[in-house]
Amino acid sequence: MSEPVESHRRESTGSVEWHRLAPMALVFLLLAGIQKFVRENLFMFAGAGFGVAVFDFLDAWKLGLLVIALLLMSLVGTMIFHRRFRFRIEDDAVRVRRGLLEKKELRVRFARVQSVQIGQPFYFKPFELVRFTLETPGGQESEVELPGIPRHLAEDMRDRIVGLQGTFAPVADSEVESGEEGSEPDRSHAGIGLYKASTRRLFRHGLSSNQIWLLAGIAAWFFGSFSERIGEWADSQGWFRYLDPIPYEFLLLAFVAIAITVLGTLLLLSGVLSIIRFHGFVLSDRGDRLVGIGGLLDQREQTVKREKITGLTVKQSALGRLLNCWHIVVRQTSSAEEEMPGRKKAFIVPGLDNQDLALTEQIVSGCRFPDGFQRVDSRFRRVFCVRITTIALVLIGVWMHLSGNGLLEALVPLSLLGLVLGAVHLRWSQWGWTLNGRQLWVRQGFLGRHQDVFDLDRVQQVQLRRSRYQRKHDLANLVLVLPQGPVTVPYLPLEDAAELANQALYTAETSTLHRI
Amino acid sequence: MNERANPFSNRPVEIEALPDFRDAELNPVVASYLRHKVATTIGFWGLFIVVSLAAPFLPFVDFNLSKYPAAIASVIMLLSLLHARLDARHRGWALREHDLIYQSGVIFRKQVILPFARIQHVETLSGPVERYFDIMRVKCFTAGGQSADLVVEGLTTAGAGQVRRYLLEQIRDDETPAEADPSEKVTSGDDV
Repeated sequence: MSEPVESHRRESTGSVEWHRLAPMALVFLLLAGIQKFVRENLFMFAGAGFGVAVFDFLDAWKLGLLVIALLLMSLVGTMIFHRRFRFRIEDDAVRVRRGLLEKKELRVRFARVQSVQIGQPFYFKPFELVRFTLETPGGQESEVELPGIPRHLAEDMRDRIVGLQGTFAPVADSEVESGEEGSEPDRSHAGIGLYKASTRRLFRHGLSSNQIWLLAGIAAWFFGSFSERIGEWADSQGWFRYLDPIPYEFLLLAFVAIAITVLGTLLLLSGVLSIIRFHGFVLSDRGDRLVGIGGLLDQREQTVKREKITGLTVKQSALGRLLNCWHIVVRQTSSAEEEMPGRKKAFIVPGLDNQDLALTEQIVSGCRFPDGFQRVDSRFRRVFCVRITTIALVLIGVWMHLSGNGLLEALVPLSLLGLVLGAVHLRWSQWGWTLNGRQLWVRQGFLGRHQDVFDLDRVQQVQLRRSRYQRKHDLANLVLVLPQGPVTVPYLPLEDAAELANQALYTAETSTLHRI
Repeated sequence: MNERANPFSNRPVEIEALPDFRDAELNPVVASYLRHKVATTIGFWGLFIVVSLAAPFLPFVDFNLSKYPAAIASVIMLLSLLHARLDARHRGWALREHDLIYQSGVIFRKQVILPFARIQHVETLSGPVERYFDIMRVKCFTAGGQSADLVVEGLTTAGAGQVRRYLLEQIRDDETPAEADPSEKVTSGDDV
């Protein structure tokens, strides 16, 4: 958590010097600023028709001038920000002064830090500079980011934060065994190598990750916004003339071929992006902390204190089930489940297969992947099926009555209803829970799978929610609020829910863990 | 062998023997909570109804509203008043040795149990209308983010202050959570 500091106290601790960022940090700050500007304005620009209006109003050269003016303004702003940026390392904290128009001073105590990240974008490599990031439990974004500081300084700071004396050497490739071979991990002074992801595994992770659908969604939405303009442009080029004589069936085939090609390209792109993001990923156990290193253009070293881990999320997408590909997300207070730009960095262990699931036990002691899960009450399925069927049959009946259609025409909506009911069954069958000592596993999903595991002593709050139907049938939804967010187990028999709630409360209330 | 008494013990815990949160007797919200809800509901919807009824009689303005908005607003207002009555009846709270229990909801009932050891900060809140009715809310902040913050409604100003002080005392004493002992008796105020 950041703490405001009074100015007279700042000056009194003059024994430690203030550092500035290296000149190369300007490149990082500029790129980060542009990235943030695009991220925050892209949707408004393309979605609200503003972009189309701008293109109508401005010629190409005026647009170019506008872009250059914006770039120059960002450059000047970045230079001022860079010039004013200062940081200082104290015995138990790091202090940062920054700000463009408003000066801000932060002091982050090392004891509050839950994750440390040292990243090295490719343009920092020749200068031995790195980007140093600290994350604390508060806030959705990284608390402190120091781009362009010498590696030795960053490593010294990291070692102070994790409470080490001296520095530690990075894990060499020879010290960890690739998950491909599945042999015993090697032990060395630098820690125990737990897992190494090969390029093939990373590509598979990319294929199975939901990133592809995100990319497809953004692309579809972006082209959708400009479709009218693209159509006009294609018409002005006379392209539609060539389409007229082509038979409809051929056009349909061409459309399917294009769709498959686009999907294939997106899959390939997703795989390649995953390789770039995690290249040479190595997970190692260094006693009281976990370290993950990987990345091609931006090599990142993420260090997480074990005591600050609040749970794990073990995920497998629908495509991942076909490819036998899982990934684990190490959860911390307010940590993200997915990696989103501008948000806290998620600690992801990518490209795992079924045999690697034993890794959960090595990440969090005693966290063994369960053999089976208890299902939630079957009334979950019944209540949704009955309600959906009733509404659908009424709507179909009204439609048949108004349109005068027969049963044959109703086959299509009835088949759709069948599919929806199948989906409800699938959703119900995925819900499950199991208590392994003090650790609760909760499974959910639809086509993919999503398992949360956490120690009951991490529970922040217990909620019991009951609808009228649930009260009538002695059922309850149990919500356990964790530092990383709520986890729900729906449609539990009331006695089971109450027992689990009482146990979670007992564990949390007698826990000696320090408050987060 | 070593005959000294071992201070460490690790006896098994009987799950059935754990205190059940359902056994806690909930304090109902104060009577003025319902009056506050009724006043704010009538104030909001009543204003809408009055405006829609009075609009056709305004001078210099040709503004002929249909009667439907006033009728719909009246129905919503009556339903809201009924909801407020049921809500006040089902809302309740209790303090146990180690946690705070809060129940709310009419159709979907929610029971929240918040261990003192997980509270990070407590504050009391009240708007001008709430102050008129002498009621106050107590907001407990936890590490679970905004969705995990608990707001206890339906306490008197004095009661809310007592609850806040008690919670802050428990937070300070959380070094020994298993031995915490409520040192201040907190009363619920008037019944509804």
